Amino acid sequence: MRNVLLIAELSLREATRKRLVSVLLVLSALFLGFFLFGVYRLEMRLDDRAVQAGLDGRSPTGAANLPVMFSALFGMYLVYFLGSLMGVLSTVGAVSGDIESGVMQSVIARPVSRAQLVAGRWLGFTAVNVAYVALLSAGLLGGVRLITGYTPPEALPAAALLLLAVTVLTSLTVLGSTLFTTLANGIGVFVLYGVGFTGGILSAIGTFADTPTLTSLGRVANALMPTNALWLGASYHLQPEIMRQVGEVSRGANPFTSSVPVEPLLVVWAAVLAALALLAAMWRFSRRDL
Amino acid sequence: MLGGMSEAAIDTRDLRKTYRGRAVVDGLSLTVPRGEVFGFLGPNGAGKSTTVKMLLGLVQPSGGEIRVLGGRPNDPAVRARLGFLPEQFRFQTWMTASEFLDFHGRLAGLSAAERRTRIPEVLGEVGLGGRGHETLGGYSKGMLQRAGLAGAILARPELVFLDEPTSALDPIGRVEVREIIERLRARGAAVFLNSHLLSEVEQVCDRVAFVKAGRVLTQGSMRELMGGVLPVDLRVDTLTGGLLDTLARLGEVRRTDTNTQGRADVELWLTRDDQIPAVADAVHAAGARLYALTPRRPDLETMFLDLIEDTPEAARAGRGEVTRA
Repeated sequence: MRNVLLIAELSLREATRKRLVSVLLVLSALFLGFFLFGVYRLEMRLDDRAVQAGLDGRSPTGAANLPVMFSALFGMYLVYFLGSLMGVLSTVGAVSGDIESGVMQSVIARPVSRAQLVAGRWLGFTAVNVAYVALLSAGLLGGVRLITGYTPPEALPAAALLLLAVTVLTSLTVLGSTLFTTLANGIGVFVLYGVGFTGGILSAIGTFADTPTLTSLGRVANALMPTNALWLGASYHLQPEIMRQVGEVSRGANPFTSSVPVEPLLVVWAAVLAALALLAAMWRFSRRDL
Repeated sequence: MLGGMSEAAIDTRDLRKTYRGRAVVDGLSLTVPRGEVFGFLGPNGAGKSTTVKMLLGLVQPSGGEIRVLGGRPNDPAVRARLGFLPEQFRFQTWMTASEFLDFHGRLAGLSAAERRTRIPEVLGEVGLGGRGHETLGGYSKGMLQRAGLAGAILARPELVFLDEPTSALDPIGRVEVREIIERLRARGAAVFLNSHLLSEVEQVCDRVAFVKAGRVLTQGSMRELMGGVLPVDLRVDTLTGGLLDTLARLGEVRRTDTNTQGRADVELWLTRDDQIPAVADAVHAAGARLYALTPRRPDLETMFLDLIEDTPEAARAGRGEVTRA
């Protein structure tokens, strides 16, 4: 365990020293600032309209506040997307990068097991990626609340699902980086990400058009890559009742959000998949020639 | 099975590595005693680096047996007693040299107190004293190789693998590396030196092995490999017939050169060190003046070419040299 923590610490220091963390923080601050400025202008406009309509104020959960609810929801979609992008890009060379640069040889010649090394890399990168998504979520939802006074109904379960999604993605990326070159891994994981999104689209169309085959295909894609299903689960928690009703009316003709909660089995499977990917990476790397 | 041989620093039996059906290492058997400097020689593609990687547990053998310091290289406890300078000395460029050594010291299990004293010590030893605070990204190739060498000797290993350790170094650096290797030997550590620089190997190695196509062609001490021959260069002012007879009794006169007026050069092959003073005595007894009496290390380059190049031309050239006298 000491070696795992040592490698994890090294990965964290690497992320800091290679300016990964500072670039992320600056760009995230810019993103949040840009987005929240939009929300701020929206809120002012809505308030103006309310005053013009002779209303005393707006109900935070009423239909008049739908634009704000949508901004919070799709803001979180951007958080999920940016978190996924960042999770893959930061982790894509976690193991393969060090093999390709030759750094790995002198490290592996030390009394550290390969499994410990992979576990340490995973721990370090998962910590960075999870912290990033948590921070961005808090920044976005906190900002929206500060400006508009609105908070999505179940923000914490939603954030938890997003953190699980980024953990799954990190684990699969670590596994890929023990199997493939950095470039091939990056392409592979993005294709998987696409598969997850495809699952969401197929399910949505399948439900909308009442086509069981499409729904089954969607289920397969979701099992293969549960990140999108986790986002859809999070989106359910981010919508007040009125938005869910809007979703029900459109019979799910929107692949970005869901009006039903995520299946508990899929959450369990996502966690198992993350663990399996890590174990497979540890096993695979232990048997690999360097 | 290898009982009794576990005393050796390295012991391999019939070691094999095949990549996609092609044998890179093909039945390699090698014994490196403890506390000796061992030269591992062979042409490009002979399987030297793959062998080193198997000895370090970086590559899994396809067959055969490996014992390193009495254990298996896959065992972290064995690797804790090894040092390694890879041929491609690439390290985390974002670290300073001190951080790099601290990281490796922690991996090797050195305590914080040990690391505090040992890191400046090894930095000084490899000629990087006072430069530990600079990041490796700003180091020159030679400095990087020195830093890698510092990492290899950091944890006071019992066996150090040096893969082309002077490839990026200037002549001064090469001499310094030789001194480091000699200090390691003096401390009782074994050194496994993989090098193309035959003169370097000649100067520091106690034993060498020649490999070709993944097999050991021959291994042994330098003297054993040269058939117990000790070549000596002798220069005197005049070479009388009586002196030549005495020299021929002491050893084998391989070559004489009296072309230059007032100077005679003789190449003499002796069998023992203690014959060297007898040569000096014979020169004095013959009334000649002695200008030089130089024992030579066996010439690895000749040996290398003889062994490695099995083309008919090379074989003829090799025989020609032996029958020259």
